[in-house]
Amino acid sequence: MTASSVRSKIQPPLLIVEDSNEDFEAFQRFMRQSSLTIPVYRCLNGDEALAYLYHTDRYSDPESAPRPGLILLDLNLPGNDGREVLRRIKQDDDLKSVPVVIFTTSNNPKDIEACYRQGVNSYIIKPMDFKLLKRSIQTLLEYWFNITMLPQNSL
Amino acid sequence: MINQAFAVIDKDQESIHTPGSIQPHGLLFVLSELDFRITQVSLNAIAILGIAPENLIDRPLENFIDRDRIAEIRDCLDPASEQTNPLNLSVTLNDGSTRFFNGIVHRAISGEIVLELEAIAATARRDFTQSYRNIKDTLAKIQVTKTLPELCDLIAKEVRQLTGFDRVMVYRFNQEGDGTVIAEDKQADLETFLGLYYPDTDIPQRAKHLYLLNWLRLLPDVNCQPSGLLTDGTGDAKLDMSHCVLRSLSPCHIQYLQNMGVSASMSISLIQQQRLWGMITCHHNTPKFVPYEIRTICEFLGQLMSTELSVKEGTQNLDYKLRLKATQVQFVNRLTNATDFLQALEDSPDDLLYLTGAQGAAVCEGDRVTLIGNTPGKEEVLDLLEWLPDRFQDDLFVTDSLPHLYPAAEAYKNVASGLLAMAISKNQNRYVLWFRPEFLQTVTWAGNPENPKQIAADGRVTISPRQSFAAWQETVRLKSLDWLQCEIEVAIELRSLIVDVILAQTDEMTRVNLELKRSNIELDSFAYIASHDLKEPLRGIHNYSNFLMEDYAEMLPEDGLAKLQTVVRLTQRMDDLISSLMHYSQLGRTELSRQSVNLNILVQQTINTLKISQPQDPIAFRLPHPLPTISCDLPQISELFTNLIGNAIKYNDSADPWVEIGFVESKLVRNGTQLAHTLYIRDNSIGIPPEHLERIFEIFKRLHPPDQYGGGTGAGLTIVRKIVERHEGKIWVESTPGEGSTFYFTLLEAVKP
Repeated sequence: MTASSVRSKIQPPLLIVEDSNEDFEAFQRFMRQSSLTIPVYRCLNGDEALAYLYHTDRYSDPESAPRPGLILLDLNLPGNDGREVLRRIKQDDDLKSVPVVIFTTSNNPKDIEACYRQGVNSYIIKPMDFKLLKRSIQTLLEYWFNITMLPQNSL
Repeated sequence: MINQAFAVIDKDQESIHTPGSIQPHGLLFVLSELDFRITQVSLNAIAILGIAPENLIDRPLENFIDRDRIAEIRDCLDPASEQTNPLNLSVTLNDGSTRFFNGIVHRAISGEIVLELEAIAATARRDFTQSYRNIKDTLAKIQVTKTLPELCDLIAKEVRQLTGFDRVMVYRFNQEGDGTVIAEDKQADLETFLGLYYPDTDIPQRAKHLYLLNWLRLLPDVNCQPSGLLTDGTGDAKLDMSHCVLRSLSPCHIQYLQNMGVSASMSISLIQQQRLWGMITCHHNTPKFVPYEIRTICEFLGQLMSTELSVKEGTQNLDYKLRLKATQVQFVNRLTNATDFLQALEDSPDDLLYLTGAQGAAVCEGDRVTLIGNTPGKEEVLDLLEWLPDRFQDDLFVTDSLPHLYPAAEAYKNVASGLLAMAISKNQNRYVLWFRPEFLQTVTWAGNPENPKQIAADGRVTISPRQSFAAWQETVRLKSLDWLQCEIEVAIELRSLIVDVILAQTDEMTRVNLELKRSNIELDSFAYIASHDLKEPLRGIHNYSNFLMEDYAEMLPEDGLAKLQTVVRLTQRMDDLISSLMHYSQLGRTELSRQSVNLNILVQQTINTLKISQPQDPIAFRLPHPLPTISCDLPQISELFTNLIGNAIKYNDSADPWVEIGFVESKLVRNGTQLAHTLYIRDNSIGIPPEHLERIFEIFKRLHPPDQYGGGTGAGLTIVRKIVERHEGKIWVESTPGEGSTFYFTLLEAVKP
């Protein structure tokens, strides 16, 4: 897990579940280039994400895993994949208020349909084009952390 | 050739089992049930016993015969008793002399007790030991005979030796009921009857029935006067004399024998499976009586021979059968390993003919007919196949005279007078036919077989015995050699083996199909997963190349920057290719979601979309016919039209480009269960060289460099073909380079009940 917490104004943390280091690096690069300062926590796969959310295993200390304001979730992950993580979150009375944005390469209509049925808040397909990717990520951060009000649940 | 219709002759009306008279060499009594009173007696009593029949009628039998003997007569009627015919009876005559008789007792079919007396000549008496020795000797000889002809010769000789008849013959009846003399033993000076045919009509059906009831008939003097019966008037029904040894023969039969010049005759039935197989017939030129004991031995020999018939017939074609069997086994082995069994049948033409002893064969499947050896022409075989299917019994049809059943066959009687046909699958019109040519047989009849009938003035057909027995020759036409039972059995076995092979192959095919389906699904799923995983590193290369350009732009020479830009462009192209592959595999994996789609609306929407995306193209869209409304997967069919119309626009460099979207027809296919819609998209584009017509549907196959004609991944037509295939249709293209192309495609839908 990596936590980068450059803060200017108090933002709820972003939990990003992404197995590709290169994709995560691209994400961090575009976030750095934006004006936002958001604490970011990263999990490498579904099992780690669930451990983070339920404070088990190495996240048993709640301090190490603050409740996220937004979850950015890849679908194709080793072990329990993003679909399972999404299902668990949206079926949990406590966690289901946390907005989840799917950020994936899968353009399968079945995935899109299933995720919205589960109650996902947004579904974004990772663009291949570098400029489009940059714009997607910056727009996403801008929208969720600058325009939208996220739930201010206790950490 | 005897016409079977002739056999329906009124001679059958003769009541030959109730003649009301007996042959005069013996005496017949009918006795009352309880007290053995004489209720009927033959009129020749005075000649046999010296007592007038009037003096016998109504008198108790015991007045003339010993009481002890009376008890034996009663025992004889009891099936449980060991007392058997004949009884030694003696009658004391008025002059005090005693006469000895063989008494033969039976209960008539009509219910009466019948006692027949035959005088015993003192010299003719035989004892049991002698009879036993006779039978034992003959039995031993029978057992060493190997073939049917040997057996028949032996029996003729033995019966003649035993009885002393001038001539003893063995007849065999064929399917039509005609008798042939197959063995003969005779006095040297007599003309031989061996090989002569006697038409079915010579022996009326009723007589043949009687020959099944009793095994032996004796006619000691053809020229004698039958003796009538005196009755006491109590019985009203005519005595059924079926089992009487003295029963007088029909005048017709007597005249028949007289015409042959015979004075005495005896015949013994040969019976196989309740069917009259043949007869042993004895002729004598002077009157001749055969004592009861000898007749019993002859009857026994007849029964013995009857049981031997099936054994001897079974071994008759043994060698041939063994060779057939061996050929059949080899043949079926080849069939089992063959993928196309009809081909395999055709590949072994000699074996196929040998198996049934045919000279020609036709292997048929639908309109495909393969001719082997000497056969009718293909068209004639196809006509025959029209007539044939209703004639099969248990999938087999056998005739040695096809032209008689199917007159058209007379035209090719030289190759197909005989037909053995086997139906492998009537549904699929799979048949094997074997042919035999006409076999001109010369049959030597005993007299002209056509003339025994006479038509009376009132139109009734009556039979009159043939006058002439001089050999009369006839040539049998429109018939082949008989199909032997063993040859027919080979066809039956072959059929069942072929059916087994086909069933096994069908099972195998079903299995392979399932396997193929499974592996196709796996392949689609593999392509999807693989391409997904391919995308991840590709995105990394793309992103990091961009990082490099952003972060180190000022450090890179212009040339280096251009190369990085090429890397980025190639990653995008590769991404397009992978996306196409994923899309293609997805088409194969997802279930069709059919809905009713009005193609007029769909095509118009597609055109509108294309116009918006390429507003600079002054393309003309032609819609010459209204399009149908069909049941299909809307997104897929929409993509199909977008790709095909898009291609028509893309590859068009004509000054006045146009695209025509047309409709050919909707018709029922697959036995009316599916409706196939045929449509086309025509253009005046650059066209496709003929050598590339098939390759254009291959995935990523492009006929032009990527930067020409608007680029593209080269998956469009592959996807179109996949969509058509998902709709169970076909796609094909006709094209003239420089003039244009027409893509035809069919889309199928199930017919709603």
